[in-house]
Amino acid sequence: MKKTYRMLTLSLGVLLSVASTGARSQVTLNVISGGSQNMVDYVTDYLGPLFEKQNPGVKVAVVGVGPDDAGSQKILEKLQAQKAQPQWDVDVIVPNQQKTGEMAQAGLLMKYRDSIATGKYAVSQSSKLALGVNVDGYVMPMFESQTAMAYNPDLVKSPPSSYDELRVWTAKNPKQFGYNGLKNGMSGVAFVVGWMYAYSGNAAALQQGPYDAATKAGWSKAYADLKAFNQGVTFTPGNAGTLDMLNRGEIAMGPVWVDMFYTWKADGRLSPNLKLKLLSPGMPGQPYYYAIPAKAKNAELAKKFIALATSPQVQADGIVKRFNWYPGIDPNAVKSSLDPKAWANLFTDISPADLAKNAKPFPIAPFFTELREGYEKQVGN
Amino acid sequence: MNAPTISLASRMPKWVGALVRGLLIVLLAVAIFGPLLNMLIWTVAEAWYFPNKLPLRWGFQFWGRVFRPEAGAMTALWTSVLIAMMTVVFSLLVSIPAGYALSRRTLPLRSVFLLVFLLPQAFPAIAVHMNIARIFYGIGLNGTIWGVMLVHAIQGLVFSVWIASASFAAVNQEQVEAARNLGASPWRAFMNVSLPLAAPGLMASAIFVFLISLDEFSGTFFVGVPDVRTLPLTMLNAALEGNYQIASITALLLLVPSIAFMLFVEKFLKADVLAKVGT
Amino acid sequence: MPIALLSPALLMVGLLFVYPLLFSLAYAFRNEATGAWGLVNFEKAFELYSNDILYTVFILVLATVLTGLFAVAIGGYLTLGENRRTVAILRWLYRWPLFIPMVVAGQLMRTFLAKNGMLNNGLMSLGLIEPINAVSMLDWRGVVITFVWKQLPFAALLISGAMASMDRSMIESARNLGASRFHALVEIVIPQVKASIAVSLILSFVTMLSALSVPMMVIAGSPTMITVDMAWRVNSYSDYGVANALGFISCAMSGVVAWFYLRQSVREQSRIVAK
Repeated sequence: MKKTYRMLTLSLGVLLSVASTGARSQVTLNVISGGSQNMVDYVTDYLGPLFEKQNPGVKVAVVGVGPDDAGSQKILEKLQAQKAQPQWDVDVIVPNQQKTGEMAQAGLLMKYRDSIATGKYAVSQSSKLALGVNVDGYVMPMFESQTAMAYNPDLVKSPPSSYDELRVWTAKNPKQFGYNGLKNGMSGVAFVVGWMYAYSGNAAALQQGPYDAATKAGWSKAYADLKAFNQGVTFTPGNAGTLDMLNRGEIAMGPVWVDMFYTWKADGRLSPNLKLKLLSPGMPGQPYYYAIPAKAKNAELAKKFIALATSPQVQADGIVKRFNWYPGIDPNAVKSSLDPKAWANLFTDISPADLAKNAKPFPIAPFFTELREGYEKQVGN
Repeated sequence: MNAPTISLASRMPKWVGALVRGLLIVLLAVAIFGPLLNMLIWTVAEAWYFPNKLPLRWGFQFWGRVFRPEAGAMTALWTSVLIAMMTVVFSLLVSIPAGYALSRRTLPLRSVFLLVFLLPQAFPAIAVHMNIARIFYGIGLNGTIWGVMLVHAIQGLVFSVWIASASFAAVNQEQVEAARNLGASPWRAFMNVSLPLAAPGLMASAIFVFLISLDEFSGTFFVGVPDVRTLPLTMLNAALEGNYQIASITALLLLVPSIAFMLFVEKFLKADVLAKVGT
Repeated sequence: MPIALLSPALLMVGLLFVYPLLFSLAYAFRNEATGAWGLVNFEKAFELYSNDILYTVFILVLATVLTGLFAVAIGGYLTLGENRRTVAILRWLYRWPLFIPMVVAGQLMRTFLAKNGMLNNGLMSLGLIEPINAVSMLDWRGVVITFVWKQLPFAALLISGAMASMDRSMIESARNLGASRFHALVEIVIPQVKASIAVSLILSFVTMLSALSVPMMVIAGSPTMITVDMAWRVNSYSDYGVANALGFISCAMSGVVAWFYLRQSVREQSRIVAK
């Protein structure tokens, strides 16, 4: 028994001595990123080193918290938890639209856009409003993410181009279309939102407001149709689950996030010949934002970092060329920093005209909540 | 089979038993290793899609990605192991006395205490982490390795306390009393009789606590980030969004300390503690 | 004296978990709209998620029972098995899933159990099933399989440990009197390790109950388990009220399960005292 105690004390001693070392001398810029792993890799491999080279003595450290509301909610809660502290330990955050709105309303964000040089490139509507919540000045868009229908051209010769055509197609090809319902990820939510834009009869009001509590009463027909439509679809487990089933040929078509779709292709988890199509009258997309917490420790450094990240050159080289993502800032500024071929690559599957016509924002926050709860009550049950 | 038996098994020819046994073992092996094989293939799959039943291209490209120096996987792995070991030591220190106390069934409110320790596992953590983090920020534990250790220890506490309590309850009281009758103090009787007899259970609980700590990533985010980064924290979000290669490689990496720890514990048991059992 | 021994652990849970938990639970009984206290969140939780609550109970009970059966079988064979090589193989074999993180287990099963997943592909290659008969198990079956796969080694390790430290003389004499191994297991071994079985199953139950990643990654569509609903309420609606009401319900479930065991042990105690 003695030997065991000696071993225990010894290992405890080693542990303690290791635990107390590890001081660092340089400044660390702490970034927490929502969104998928490739957004984290983007900062780790490209943006971080670039910024470190321009600012000696600075280290960029990034942590990813995962995609969708779930990931960005973690950022919100992390800030909420230290609200009472004089200084917060996070310098730059990359949240999605809904949670950015909530953070702005809760007073967790810093108004910084007008103090950085690239602020003038924030021209899109989504850089001012996040689901109807005013975020003007609090954010710079990192990139625009879009949902679209991914399909396997070997199995689907002429893909549907609208929700109406999709319904016809699904009736002929039962269980060949799949989506992830409501609770397992935003690509399913986006499909439902697109459905409501098509059939609720008040798409414009949903997107632009004003909010009216009476509107939802008119949605029951759209929900009933969706419930009937659901009988002929395959449900998938999550955003990744949809891509997964496409990958294994269990479904021939399903709604996906465009940026995730390209990552899966690049990582060899999707056949290179899969294609994308944007359904009319429209499917929603949203930007991921760069924002600075209200009491960030290194706020000045954070501004510098975001100014670099949203400069036309970095948006061109990093966002468009590396990842094939739609730029967050003024496209005209980005286009001029790129060779035309790289620019054209962005629109291989979905043309600029399609995007202009059929890429929609998500509904404003109160409608968005009602729309999802309505689905839970009238379709999910 | 030296005794006469009347069971059905003994009347069958020997090879039938061997066949059934062999089949069952093969079936179990397939059930256990099927999913694991899936994981192993994903760690070296560079391209795998329909209609191919096996990867089209094999290679170590994703290993390069996990181990690239910018990602700091090795530092994170070391931090994870360190925290897991601290968590084990701390849990044992707290739960051995608690388990000993709870092993007495006459303890007033015993059931209530046991239920209290069950709480951290029984209440899904998603809605509690923010409040835990708020308290940790308030007392300056956030961003420290100690804070992360505490969060992990709380998650593991039900395992260490409940198992410790069961292990001490199973200790034969006659042996303890015999030692006391020979003049041993309660402390000596505890150290020389009860503790060694309960040790196998305690060590099993140490393994579970180690694994819980090693796999945890949600509490680590709220309490550790940005200063403390563990390997699951940086990699397992990849699993949630379907980055199978990264998640599988991470799981494989985490296997190394887990198995090393278990072998260490078992060796330690055999050499020292098991010898005491039954003496 | 016993309270002094308990106090470090109690203090830790009390300060670092129960205290923050009370903040969360307070939300469950609060009507966010009016600021009043009441059961409004529970009503909403039952209205929207009663199916999911039942579904969760069904999955957990099934998974716990299966885990218990298999774990006792493994423990029993390790204790009573006579073929030493088989015992050695089994001992080596059963532990592996213990070391796989829950979230990775979920991910593995999603690609393993799907319609064109590895399991069905393997069976088709062996000619055991026809492609047309291949079914996806990404629903309750997948979750139950994942849970049993992941928790079985845990329960088996505890149960076989308890069996190994049992007094073997009773088993030997029963076997000498002609009892089959099955009878020895049921009539002699199991009664002696009842407490360990109960503890390992309760701990498995609560572990499965609070696992979010497995149902999230394995179940396609609805109904789903209540942890997913909790995450959904918080993430989509920032609705801590209903989420915590669901958390409360999940807590109550484990409370009920644990209570049976605790009451049982109290009863046994009084029997011993009565003797």
